[in-house]
Amino acid sequence: MHAAAPAIEFRDVVAGYGEFMILNNLSLAARRGAITLLIGPNGAGKSTVLKTLFGLLKPRQGRVLLDGADVTGAAPKDLLAHGIAFVPQGRNLFPQLTVWQNLELGGITLGRRLTHARIPAVLELFPRVRERLHAQASALSGGEQKQLEIGRALLLQPKVLLIDEPSIGLSPLVVADVFRLLRRLAGEGTTVLMVEQNVKSALKVSDDAIALESGRLVLHKPAGELLADPHIERLFLGSAAAV
Amino acid sequence: MTDLLQLTFSGIATGSIYALAALGFTLLWQASGTINFAQGEFVMLPAFAMLFFAAQGAPLPVAFVLTIAVAVAVLGWAFKRGVVDPLFRHGMMAIVVATIGLSIAMRNGVRIYSADAHPFPSLFADKLLRVGGVTVSLADAGTLAFALVLVVATQAFLARTLTGRAMQAVAQNTESAAVLGINVPLMILYTFAINAVLACAAALLVTPVYFGKFDMGESLGTKAFFAAVIGGFNNSRGALLGGVIVGIGENLAAAYISPAYKDAVALALFMVVILFKPQGLLGRKEERKV
Repeated sequence: MHAAAPAIEFRDVVAGYGEFMILNNLSLAARRGAITLLIGPNGAGKSTVLKTLFGLLKPRQGRVLLDGADVTGAAPKDLLAHGIAFVPQGRNLFPQLTVWQNLELGGITLGRRLTHARIPAVLELFPRVRERLHAQASALSGGEQKQLEIGRALLLQPKVLLIDEPSIGLSPLVVADVFRLLRRLAGEGTTVLMVEQNVKSALKVSDDAIALESGRLVLHKPAGELLADPHIERLFLGSAAAV
Repeated sequence: MTDLLQLTFSGIATGSIYALAALGFTLLWQASGTINFAQGEFVMLPAFAMLFFAAQGAPLPVAFVLTIAVAVAVLGWAFKRGVVDPLFRHGMMAIVVATIGLSIAMRNGVRIYSADAHPFPSLFADKLLRVGGVTVSLADAGTLAFALVLVVATQAFLARTLTGRAMQAVAQNTESAAVLGINVPLMILYTFAINAVLACAAALLVTPVYFGKFDMGESLGTKAFFAAVIGGFNNSRGALLGGVIVGIGENLAAAYISPAYKDAVALALFMVVILFKPQGLLGRKEERKV
């Protein structure tokens, strides 16, 4: 690990699906221990950045670096070992398995002993989930499910947490809880890279904001500055600014 | 009343064999979204492998173990790598057509080897047992016990071991499983291997009754498919229930209506379930991305 290197770095990355490229020579960097928010209109490539970073999508060109180490094209399993965890958009639990079993599978790369040792600390963060440890995951509310997904990722004690649209389908109270947790994780040194449509709320808890358009970086500045800039708000937040 | 109990018991024993093959259907569907219409031939081929090993002088248990090794390699690994993997990106229909073709090829391939019906040794002595006034054959009781042990063991493996849960996870949400670092291709391969083992066990139990013949899997595969649909294609316990329902239904129809209608029972039950509860008796409604 290079102390001076950004936690996450993209250098001229080109990535996409089939013949259709979403990221076009994208270069960006995210600071260690900070929450970096990716914003931009639909199709800008925000989720594609996360998928490419996590190895679910192989870049056609360019390099992806994690703590200065080249991880371009690495498989998700290897990236997990690098200390990177991903909470994708939508429902990501195993609905017919219990809460405990979902958590246990979250630590499958750690081994059973270490996983079991870490589960109590994760459950401390989510008391509602702890109360329903033996319930089927599908029986949990939307908010509890998202908490369980995040808890499952935290079992790995990741250095970098990628989280895509954590507020979708959640009540404002639960969203506030999730954002508070992300702030706490960043405070403890975890690098968080987040995609979130609920831009105003997300900017309030973020340190930096990166705006993308057509798979290219168009802006990178402190989140507070962006939040205070009405021109930028109109350009990139659109109707989300009303949230 | 005694007749009814005897027929029911015998039906449960036969149904437990259908359940083994049906369990394979549900496992493959859940883990890989594959419907294997060569499932009946997956039972027929191990029967001939066991006959082959037995002809070389191997005792039945040794022939069974050797057959499992071959079946895991051929019906598990080679089937997945050679048929399912290349066609998976082309969707379900390509796999369905390929496995129908595979079943025809396997059947006729074995037919070239031998078109005769080969007697097959039974695991169980030819004895009758009297249980509470009901006479049952040791073969029926043994078949039922053996099949139940296998089904329960498979269920226990899936439910109680981390590997089993990882296999379930892959079945329930493949993308999430990959995100957690679960080795998705390996879990799917395990599923195919378990299916091959279950097919060997079904062959061991069914061949003494039907004899080893190139077309023995045709009817078994169809009934196992109906059993899986009746019980619920996405529920392993449903395979057991569906198998038992088909087995009992067949026996009762043969005794009380006409043996000619025996094979129609599974089809009739299948149609009723498809019409009124298409997810099966124990299955759950699900949506799949296409």
